[in-house]
Amino acid sequence: MNKRHTQRQKWWWWSLMGVILVVLLASAAGTSPTEGNSDDRLFAIAAQIKCVQCVGESVAGSAAPIAIQFRSEIASQMKQGRTNDEILNFFADRYEGVLLTPPSTGVGSLVWVIPVIAIAGAALLLAESLRVRRSRGPVQQPSPEDEALVEVALEARHSEPSVTSTDTTDDS
Amino acid sequence: MNRALGLTGLILALGGSLLAISVILTGLKRSRPELMRMGRAYSFVVLLGATMAVAAMERAFIQRDYTLKYVAEHGSSTTPALFNVASMWSALEGSILLWGLILAGYLVVVAHKFRKRLDDSLVAWALITMFSVCVFFFGLMLTAANPFRGNIPIPGFDGPGPNPLLQNHILMAFHPPMLYLGYVGFTVPFAFAIAALVTGRVGEGWLVETRRWTLFAWGFLTAGIILGAWWSYEVLGWGGYWGWDPVENASLLPWLTGTAYLHSVMVQERRGMLRVWNLSLLCATFSLTILGTFLTRSGVVASVHAFSAGSVGPILLGFFALVVAVSVGLIGLRGDQLRSAGHIDSPLSREGAFLANNVVFAALAFVVLLGTVFPLVIEATTGDTLSVGPPYFSRMTMPLGLTLLLLMAIAPVLPWRKASGELLRERLWWPAWTGLAAVLLAVLLGATGVAPLLAFGLGGFAAGSALRQIALATKRLGWRGFVGRANGGMVVHLGVIVIGVALAASMSFMSQGEFTLKEGETARVAGHTLQFLGSRTVDQPNRVELVARIKVDGEQVYEPKLNRYRQSGQTIPTPSVKASLRDDIMMSITTAPSESDPSLGLRVIVQPMVTWLWIGGLIMVIGTVLSLFPGRRRNPLDAVSAAAPIEQVSA
Repeated sequence: MNKRHTQRQKWWWWSLMGVILVVLLASAAGTSPTEGNSDDRLFAIAAQIKCVQCVGESVAGSAAPIAIQFRSEIASQMKQGRTNDEILNFFADRYEGVLLTPPSTGVGSLVWVIPVIAIAGAALLLAESLRVRRSRGPVQQPSPEDEALVEVALEARHSEPSVTSTDTTDDS
Repeated sequence: MNRALGLTGLILALGGSLLAISVILTGLKRSRPELMRMGRAYSFVVLLGATMAVAAMERAFIQRDYTLKYVAEHGSSTTPALFNVASMWSALEGSILLWGLILAGYLVVVAHKFRKRLDDSLVAWALITMFSVCVFFFGLMLTAANPFRGNIPIPGFDGPGPNPLLQNHILMAFHPPMLYLGYVGFTVPFAFAIAALVTGRVGEGWLVETRRWTLFAWGFLTAGIILGAWWSYEVLGWGGYWGWDPVENASLLPWLTGTAYLHSVMVQERRGMLRVWNLSLLCATFSLTILGTFLTRSGVVASVHAFSAGSVGPILLGFFALVVAVSVGLIGLRGDQLRSAGHIDSPLSREGAFLANNVVFAALAFVVLLGTVFPLVIEATTGDTLSVGPPYFSRMTMPLGLTLLLLMAIAPVLPWRKASGELLRERLWWPAWTGLAAVLLAVLLGATGVAPLLAFGLGGFAAGSALRQIALATKRLGWRGFVGRANGGMVVHLGVIVIGVALAASMSFMSQGEFTLKEGETARVAGHTLQFLGSRTVDQPNRVELVARIKVDGEQVYEPKLNRYRQSGQTIPTPSVKASLRDDIMMSITTAPSESDPSLGLRVIVQPMVTWLWIGGLIMVIGTVLSLFPGRRRNPLDAVSAAAPIEQVSA
């Protein structure tokens, strides 16, 4: 390993990378529009509402008359200075199941909770099974015959002109 | 005539499959290899039958033979030739017919490829499994989903043609066959997995046999999904390429489990571990293609693609249950033989990374499946209506997607068995700087938001790793450093990274507006100017087009259209897209100018980097092709650290 390579092992280089990353992320943290009358905000809200007369489209995506009507309703409520949640609730109260985001309360919230529990559970089980297996140690010890075979094979390999690779552990 | 020909074909295919199963089974039971070798001949009979049926259907469409109910419902004398041919797969029965043809094609190729080993019980059982799947599909076509139902047309009758959305873009002719080549292709590894379980030869033999088949199917599924996204982007006109529609989800599910399998299979080849898991993944992939077909073809969920039809649903659900029961039963039966001797030494190793990859892919598949069926379950149990839409899927899949990017950055440089921190710091040095540079570049270009910046950074990191692997391989092997599974796989990774970055950019930095423009007026969106020059109407045989002329940025003129279909009366916009490597400007007409109101309703959506989605897809396909070529042969004496006993495979 030459000198240039040892630089890569220095902890401060890696810390520096981390610091730069955090600074960059912090400096550019943005938010989606929650006030004002921009079309971007309008469509961001409309994208969370299902077009009730279409198939598989949101109010933002559809060209159906009802979607256009919904969008103008959103626009007028935005002008009245209502918040995103107020506008979404307005539609949710009038049409059942119109919000594309499932609710965070009640039985509907299960769709949020189940994956988190399932993924965490699976990860824990996996970690546990790995730990158990590792603690059991190697299953088989090579017999003297095995080692003799390896010996013969290695000799055969070394006697022929071999191709050396630059990064042998890297191949897959 | 067409009806008789088609039905004959279907009966031939069904009869051939049934006979093949009984002949091969008899051959196995009485140990008569000459009977087992007949499987190949029967596979040709099945293909002949399927081809006859498809030819009859296409002929009926070309002749506008309205004595077929299917043609009367989906054909029309005004449909242009290309879409007329593609009309076959524009609805339920015809798409199952296409499925049958592709299945028969795969069957013949398998029987031919393994022609010298047809008397090997593993191959025999694989063929029995494939013939059984054929029995199901051709049986389905002769009962619940019969494409050749008769009809008595009234004189002068003309059909409505396929759904207008489906005759709007050339991709419609390619996306479904590609997707089906992928979907159906997973039958082959599934058949071999079942055969391995039945014969008890659950070592690595069957797996090496089907490696390329899986990759082949996966490549087509990938291409099919991306073409589908492209189609919806070009046709639907809301700037979206992925709507988390149940049918899109149904195609994504087998892709996710299939991708997980392509990775975990390497752990089994190398170390003999994860046998149960790999078998389960293959069985899951195949059963998910059936479940997806059920979800989308039975009318239980509403979707752009869902063709509702009576009794097909329960039959598909029954077949799904059967596939799952057989798979689970067989895996349970062979449980003892499936236990592997090896174990994972350290989570920080190649196999550890593959395991993590599998957890993430399984989690993604779980989230997508749950989100798709959850509204159905809630409605069935509580009677409540609720929607699980794009906001849910984006929020849930985003952290998983970022984790995948991180894994793609670290995993390729990890050695098998165990890695040290020192080794990682050494190998990840340049990739890490690449990632940081990507974040810096994005910030300088004005990107904001933690999630997209993380996506760019991790994308750069992962690209650095993939490029490092390719550079090392090409330095060592020259041009051969691009071919083979490991190297081609890195090219696929690059494609995935390009898509990931494009997804993050286009979703996070989209800007749009809706305008009402009089002639000569100009709209402004995200630094682009769009001037409405005027409009005209064009008469086509099947539709009336209103064509608007829009001058973009004072240069080229683009022509979005609004089509009114004569037969159905439906009005469908054809958006026009100014695509560039930097950003796409999509123009879609919402309201046509009329005599009372001469102004044009125009929806404009500007999204950065959308073109890179298609480029990334192309890179993925190229990478898959490169992976299919044989790579560098590993010296058989090189250490492979296989701890498991080597299974006896009869050649």
